[in-house]
Amino acid sequence: MPELLEFTVDKFTFQVASDRLYTEAGVWARLEGALVRIGISDFLQQRSGDVAFAEVKPTGTPLYYDDEVAVIETIKVDISLGSPVSGTIMEFNSALEITPEVINQDPYSGGWLALLEATDWVADRARLLDPQAYFEKIKQQAEEETR
Amino acid sequence: MTGVRQKVVIVPCSGIGKTYGSVSRQAAYIVVEDLRPEDTQLAALSRLVMGDEASREMLARNPAITIDGCKLACATKMVRESSGVVAQDFAVLDVYRRYKQFKPQGISELNEGGEQLALALAEEIVGVVDHIITNSGGKEHRSINNLPERGENG
Repeated sequence: MPELLEFTVDKFTFQVASDRLYTEAGVWARLEGALVRIGISDFLQQRSGDVAFAEVKPTGTPLYYDDEVAVIETIKVDISLGSPVSGTIMEFNSALEITPEVINQDPYSGGWLALLEATDWVADRARLLDPQAYFEKIKQQAEEETR
Repeated sequence: MTGVRQKVVIVPCSGIGKTYGSVSRQAAYIVVEDLRPEDTQLAALSRLVMGDEASREMLARNPAITIDGCKLACATKMVRESSGVVAQDFAVLDVYRRYKQFKPQGISELNEGGEQLALALAEEIVGVVDHIITNSGGKEHRSINNLPERGENG
C-alpha cells in the first residue's frame, strides 16, 4: 500500500498515492521496471461516481501522450481518459470487464487500467504532476467547488 | 377464519434528480401498476424516513423488495431500520451492467434506454415477487416470459 496524501472537504476524503505521477485530468502513471502502469486517481473516481463499464484499448494499441487509452462510463458521466505516456499497451486489467467497480473500490491498486511500454518516459514524466502538485491542485479545486 | 393476503412491498430509491433513481421508481411503478398489481404494493421511502406508522406496519406484515439507485442503498437500509424484511435488494447499476444496451439518461423524463432498463428491472423484480407469492401459498402466476410486450399496457 503506497503512502497516501489525504485531505477532507465537506463529507468527502480524497487520497493521493505518493508513489506515482499524475496528469491534470487525474490519470496516474507509475514506472514499474521497463513498463508504466496507469489508472485513475481517487479524486477522479469519487467525482465521477460509480463505474458501470470500463473499456480499455486492447493490447498492442500504440498511443501518443493524451491519446484516448480508456473510456469509463459511470452513473454520472462518460469519461475519455488520455494516456499519461506515449507507448504501446502491453496488458490491460481484464478484471474490469467483470468487476469495473474495483476502480471505485481500489483506484491505486486493483483498479489499474493498463500496463504500457513507454517510448519516452523521460519526456512524458516531465509533463506530469508530482503527487504534491496534484494534491494541491485537487485540494484547491475541491475547496472552490464547495464554496 | 380468513387470512390477510400477503403482498410484496416494493420500496424504490427516493433520489430526486438522479437518473438511476428515476429508473428505480419507474420499475417500481411498472411492477405495482402494470405487471403485478394484485401481489405488490408501493411504499414511499420518504414515509419510512418520517417513521410513518402505516408504512412500518405494512413492512411488518409483508416482505419487501428494495430498489436502490446508488451504493448508499437508502431503500434497503431504511427498510431494515424500519424492522422490515428485505426479501431481495436490487441495485439499478448492477441491473444496467446486465443490460448494457439500455443506457439510461434523463431525470424527470427517461430516455428510451432508461425506459427499457426500467422494464428489464421490473421483469427481474416480478420473478422474485412470483417466487415469494408462490412460496407463501398465493395464487399461481404467469411466467415472466409471458409478460405483456413493452407498451402493451398503454
